[in-house]
Amino acid sequence: MEGLILFAVSISTLGAIYAMLCLSLNLESGNGPLWDLGIVSFFGIGAYTYTLLTADPALEQQSFLLGLGLPMWIGAIGAAAGGGIAAWLIGLPTLRLKREYFLIATLAFAEIIRQVFANENWLTNGVAGIYGLRQPFKSYFDAADYSYVLLALTLCGLAFTWYVTRRIIASPFGRACKALRENEPLAITAGIDPQKTSIRLFMISGALSGFAGMFYVWYNTLIIPGQFVADLTFFIWAALIIGGIGNQRGALVGGFIFIFLHDSLRFLQVSGEMAVAFTSLRTALIGLALILILRFRPEGIFAERPVRFDLPALKREARDA
Amino acid sequence: MLEVSNVTLSYGGVRAIDDVSLTVAKGRIVGLIGTNGAGKTSLFNVISGFTRGDKGSIRFNGAAIENVRPSEIAQLGLVRTFQTPLGFPRMTVLENMLVFSRADAASRGRIFGRSKPDGAILEQAMATLDEFGLASRGNDLVQDLAAPELKMLEFARAMMGDIKLLMLDEPAAGVNPALLENLTSHIRSLRDRGVTFLVVDHNLKFISSVCEEIYAMADGRVIAHGDSADVIANPDVIRLYVGTGGADNSLSKEAEA
Repeated sequence: MEGLILFAVSISTLGAIYAMLCLSLNLESGNGPLWDLGIVSFFGIGAYTYTLLTADPALEQQSFLLGLGLPMWIGAIGAAAGGGIAAWLIGLPTLRLKREYFLIATLAFAEIIRQVFANENWLTNGVAGIYGLRQPFKSYFDAADYSYVLLALTLCGLAFTWYVTRRIIASPFGRACKALRENEPLAITAGIDPQKTSIRLFMISGALSGFAGMFYVWYNTLIIPGQFVADLTFFIWAALIIGGIGNQRGALVGGFIFIFLHDSLRFLQVSGEMAVAFTSLRTALIGLALILILRFRPEGIFAERPVRFDLPALKREARDA
Repeated sequence: MLEVSNVTLSYGGVRAIDDVSLTVAKGRIVGLIGTNGAGKTSLFNVISGFTRGDKGSIRFNGAAIENVRPSEIAQLGLVRTFQTPLGFPRMTVLENMLVFSRADAASRGRIFGRSKPDGAILEQAMATLDEFGLASRGNDLVQDLAAPELKMLEFARAMMGDIKLLMLDEPAAGVNPALLENLTSHIRSLRDRGVTFLVVDHNLKFISSVCEEIYAMADGRVIAHGDSADVIANPDVIRLYVGTGGADNSLSKEAEA
């Protein structure tokens, strides 16, 4: 039973990290006009920035930049800044492209960045990665209880991401992003600059994805380039489509459902042969879920909800005025 | 208010606009007519900044705008519509109104702007929707509106912003006579509140009834300009619309019909 609880806590923590990424993706691709297939790159840049700022200096057999051993809160700011700055740099050339080409370009950039993680040994210690990374507040708790602490911290990060994305979507800036998603030429006639609006949105989303990267480092206590492959981008998209693109709750729930579908089979104690079969089955399960969702509920579990106001009250006020 | 001088635009070897000049004075309702391919929409695109002209100058309220971004031109108060009014389909009617409001325009530069629209703005939006017969549709998605309601929404939106010149691209297309009358009265009402109009349309009855002066275009050039009645009676314009045998002033008859 204890094993089951610990497993549930572990996949809930991972689910919360995925939900953060889903919220970030929903902000730019659900509410906004940006079809981003490079979200994993900002996630990875955030994770590496956090690591390089907070990790102890490289050991003799290692090679990576910085290793400043800075406090974790500086690492958190650095992770978000790293993701945001990377989004700005990638956005400068790619946001001039039309939607479909932007999608391809971001996918290509994500792969280039993964190659940088893997091949620039002086920067990241290459494919060997960086191990034994510290987790926050670990010394204050019993090792057996720490997974609960990590879950609580990750849920705090998720709550912060929820709050930020919700505020942005409800603001005039969020409405401008939605207008661009719906009808760019008409949005321009409302005085909305597609370039400026999109780059700001892309940077915010990149910063939030980078911020989520920090929690991934805490969760894994190591960082290797193989954690940031394109599969992860498609996983986040699948999670968002299952949950409901354009809906905050959909993004939140989608992250957890995805992880449950994808990782629950890990808990089963089976032979090595069966374990290999189950690994393939995990991806097949996601595919099946996607097919079922697209067939029976194409808008996702939680469909996008229109922003509605109390009309009778407004009408009364308008007539009285 | 709007001065277009010697504007030229070519697509490859085709000259879509050929040395066109026109002026729209403040408070006027000016029409732009011409057959398909005459260059009317191309001229609209150049004036509103969606397409960069090859030559010529465009001044709006004294400021040169030929190299200004379309969103900045809209911010100056020169706003255009499109031939097919779609709005923002998956946003509600009230959200559509808010996007065009001065309040949204002023605060969309802040990422954490107010998460609830100001009550006064919503009231203004509701009062405007009421005026255009859309008060009961405020919470409906724009994709669920009927075509006449979409036309009305275009005008209602215009009332939310600080629009000085509204360029209407074929507002009468696909509109029944009752709605056309409604459109005409709304255009006049908006003009009375200080909005200037440049209207492109094929419907001569509508154009001649609503516009005080008309420019006629053919093959990218202005072939006639003057009071509505004079342009409708112009032999070149008649030839353009009804062919060479139509010099019996049949356009005036059509416009009167």
